[in-house]
Amino acid sequence: MSLTRRHMLASTIGTVACAVALLVPKHTRGADEVEDFLFRLTGRKATPSNRLHLVMPAEFSTGYTVPMSISVDSPMTEADHVKSVRVFAPKNPLVEVAQFHFVPGRSLPRVSTRVRLAAPQHVVALAEMSNGNVLMAKAWVAVATNGCL
Amino acid sequence: MTTPIPRVMVPGSVRKNEVFTVKAIIQHQMETGLRTDSAGKTIPRKIINQFVCRYGGLEVFRTDLHEAVSANPFLEFQLLATENGRLEFSWREDGGATYSLFHDIVVT
Repeated sequence: MSLTRRHMLASTIGTVACAVALLVPKHTRGADEVEDFLFRLTGRKATPSNRLHLVMPAEFSTGYTVPMSISVDSPMTEADHVKSVRVFAPKNPLVEVAQFHFVPGRSLPRVSTRVRLAAPQHVVALAEMSNGNVLMAKAWVAVATNGCL
Repeated sequence: MTTPIPRVMVPGSVRKNEVFTVKAIIQHQMETGLRTDSAGKTIPRKIINQFVCRYGGLEVFRTDLHEAVSANPFLEFQLLATENGRLEFSWREDGGATYSLFHDIVVT
């Protein structure tokens, strides 16, 4: 192969692109994996929404009791309410965390609890609404220990 | 094995149509089925798998719990004070055992 300027330029760009891709922090690279994981698990397409709040600490010293708060902006009327919220931890050996079911006019779509996480990961929440929409939110949690053992 | 002890915190008095917070916890190991004992044998899974809150007989909040919920599962949720009635909290364990608590709520 002749060592032309064009060839040198192309291979340099290729190398730099690979290097940049590898340097991207792990938790931004994994974003599409989450969408694929959810579709394989539930068969539904979920839309990321800022009406669904999944609040978890970005870093936590133990994986045994990580606090988690969920709330959804919803009027909770018969016509427009949250039916359930499901939570998954994709990097846990058993990925399902919990499902919370709410009743319009009786309970608010808010809950707090504590969960086990095996490794730093995006915890994912899916909210199923009364009109069939599925909302999605994720939170990156870096736990220092494996809470699933 | 000790019997799991549940505890609930509900406000003393609530006004009609006001939102009130319930905190519910049950002492439970929540054995995931992933741990092994000193002999290397897997300790079988035994967790609380469901929590239901009924208000005047009607289910108002339900949680299905899995292995990823922490030991001594804690739940904090919010209900609307609709009428005087009995709040019933029940936890169901793998194997069918249930643990319940009652609280009569007075709505002013």
